[in-house]
Amino acid sequence: MEFSLSGNALKTFARSITCLARIGNELALQASPSQLAFHSLNSSRSAYQSITFKPDFFDVYTVSGTQVQCSVLLKAICSVLRTPITSIDHLSVLLPNHDASKVQWTLDCYNGMKKAYWITCNVEPDIQHLSLDRRRFPSSFVVRPRDLNRLLSNFQSTLQEITVIATEPTSLPSDAASEIGGKAVELRSYIDPTKDNDSSLHTQLWIDPTEEFVQYTHAGDPVDVTFGVKELKAFLSFCEGCEVDIHFYFEKAGEPILMAPQFGLDDGSTSNFDATLVLATMLVSQIQEGNPSEPPPVAATIHGQANHGTGSQAQERTRGNVSEHPSDHTRIWSELSGSAAKNGSGAEERQVQGERNENDNEQREIQRISTMHISKTRSVGENVLGDPNSCHPMESNCAEDPRGGAEINGHGFSQRHPSNWVDADEDDDEGDETELCVQSTPPYHEE
Amino acid sequence: MSSSAIEPEAPDLVCQLDNVQGMVDALSSVRWKRHQDAVIELSEHGIVLIVEETSCLQAKVYLQRELFIRYEYSAQGRPRFGVSLGLFVDCLNTFSVPGRSNTIEIQYPGPDMQLLLKSVDSLDACIYSEIRTRIPDMISWDYNFEPAGSTPLSFTVKSAALKEAIDDLEWPGSSIQIILQPVPPSVTFRGEGHGDLQIDFMYYVNTDLLIAFHCDQEVSYRYKYKFLRATTSNIPSSVIKDNRGSKLTIGRGGMLKVQHLVSVARPSVSHPHIDSAGYQQPSRIAYIEFFVKPEEDVDTVNDS
Repeated sequence: MEFSLSGNALKTFARSITCLARIGNELALQASPSQLAFHSLNSSRSAYQSITFKPDFFDVYTVSGTQVQCSVLLKAICSVLRTPITSIDHLSVLLPNHDASKVQWTLDCYNGMKKAYWITCNVEPDIQHLSLDRRRFPSSFVVRPRDLNRLLSNFQSTLQEITVIATEPTSLPSDAASEIGGKAVELRSYIDPTKDNDSSLHTQLWIDPTEEFVQYTHAGDPVDVTFGVKELKAFLSFCEGCEVDIHFYFEKAGEPILMAPQFGLDDGSTSNFDATLVLATMLVSQIQEGNPSEPPPVAATIHGQANHGTGSQAQERTRGNVSEHPSDHTRIWSELSGSAAKNGSGAEERQVQGERNENDNEQREIQRISTMHISKTRSVGENVLGDPNSCHPMESNCAEDPRGGAEINGHGFSQRHPSNWVDADEDDDEGDETELCVQSTPPYHEE
Repeated sequence: MSSSAIEPEAPDLVCQLDNVQGMVDALSSVRWKRHQDAVIELSEHGIVLIVEETSCLQAKVYLQRELFIRYEYSAQGRPRFGVSLGLFVDCLNTFSVPGRSNTIEIQYPGPDMQLLLKSVDSLDACIYSEIRTRIPDMISWDYNFEPAGSTPLSFTVKSAALKEAIDDLEWPGSSIQIILQPVPPSVTFRGEGHGDLQIDFMYYVNTDLLIAFHCDQEVSYRYKYKFLRATTSNIPSSVIKDNRGSKLTIGRGGMLKVQHLVSVARPSVSHPHIDSAGYQQPSRIAYIEFFVKPEEDVDTVNDS
């Protein structure tokens, strides 16, 4: 297999490598006469990136046989591309034969230097291939990278996971006087509730998809998806550099979310490269919903085992804040959670302190909290939750510990003061313990 | 102070330099470790500073007397003393204020054999420093560089490109092979490790990458990466900006000599001798030399 490229294609190529390197460690390379495909899967198997190039992307492209594949470390390729792209005349890659142990990457620089790198192929490549049909996702939106960057800048830069809540866009025009504006989409920071020292910024951001998105499709009940921000930002940089919009495809919590560049319709023919990023989403919904009881598709939502501390995907927590009460303006609620000295209104805190055992009783407790919240809840326009058991099927202690949880006085599940959260069930007391809260302005109307 | 009939002995050297930053640049280029003991040798021709990694790597900085606006030498013989390189450079740096001329006076020895520095260009303030010196306890090894044969084996390459190549060679690692080939005229740097990297410089007359090339037989020697790296890691940015070249010569036994030129002139302030921004008097240049010993398993002719 041999290919060579230069100019703008080389810039796109370098950007692709940078993006892949932010996802996983190994690069799986699959070359066939019709395309060259790069894949990378992250170590927790929750993010999969694939970038494909057509032969006309390259100046030279030859593949012997039907398919050639190998796997190399992305760090090595990044070392090759340390040379500034602007000083490279062309890059050539050569795999001399199917069982060659090294791939040769040669840079011919404008200043006359020629650099040849021989990168060792991984001996036992773990080449996964995942292809998802984009048409199976009922909901989608297209956003410009700079707009998404601007939206994400409202969130703490170290945020690890983000929730996107999509509701059906109303057909009513956005009206300043009306309570129900067109803020059909919410972006919300997701913070692992089991983290002891929660001093991070929590952010909720309601947006009007007609203003912020190029395109938005969602019908039916609200859905939410929670996924990793690091991978999102990597793909965002990639699309920004390639000057293409990002198309998001999703279905609901637990189902993967797929991102792809949306090449402009005026380009006519499709571009000579394509990219896909598939991220697993948290199984548990952040909004009240029907029981997400279907087992996730194996390939895409391969979560770490439920009780792992890694990633918060195994954590179960329903906040129960139905936040699709759109406000009149794009309003950002941000709250800095206080440190240890909270006032004791958070009933969860009481519970937590009272009953927290060291180990996996923690799970149990969270379980208890969510169960109880479910039982008390009602929400506007939501399915009434019939199933008190909202636990993830993998949680083994779930079934054996159902607490009717009657003794809880309402909003104890959150460490943050609930009146901060735009909440459907505002039968909670509001405004008493307001020292740590940001009061809503203008006044918020309950239904 | 006692008045004495005998005139107090004049210091061995009193010199004044009007561009401290240039001297800092020149001396910084031979820093490759945090703690380095340097030996300074004074003569009527100028100042030479020598640092060494015992029997592996040696570097010399030549600051000839023409660099100084005043150079009064009155020693017998050539005084030598030891000083901490890092300390000396950091001290000089405090005299260097960006954006204005910095003239300092260096004097040796002080009353207690110190090196004395003071600023002389400011009317309202003075910076003054004393640096302890010591008797150099090692005889700096004369690397005794001899030409490899009747014709020299050398090439001159753009300093920026040399630095870039050596930085890239960090990836493969520990031992770097340098190969000079007469046909086709080229220089190759090669490193092998968990991955291999080969960087070729072809000698074409029309590119300004390899500025000069002399080689009549193929030679190949290996050098430890970290010593090769020391020869370029602290090249001052002025060298890159001035688009200078570095000369590499392979001597007998594979000893490698790397020579750089560092400008000591002030680029931004007009100087009576400088006609345009780029032109500098040839004497306003400090010469830097590195000597790198090859690795033991050496073959003089490599027929790879």
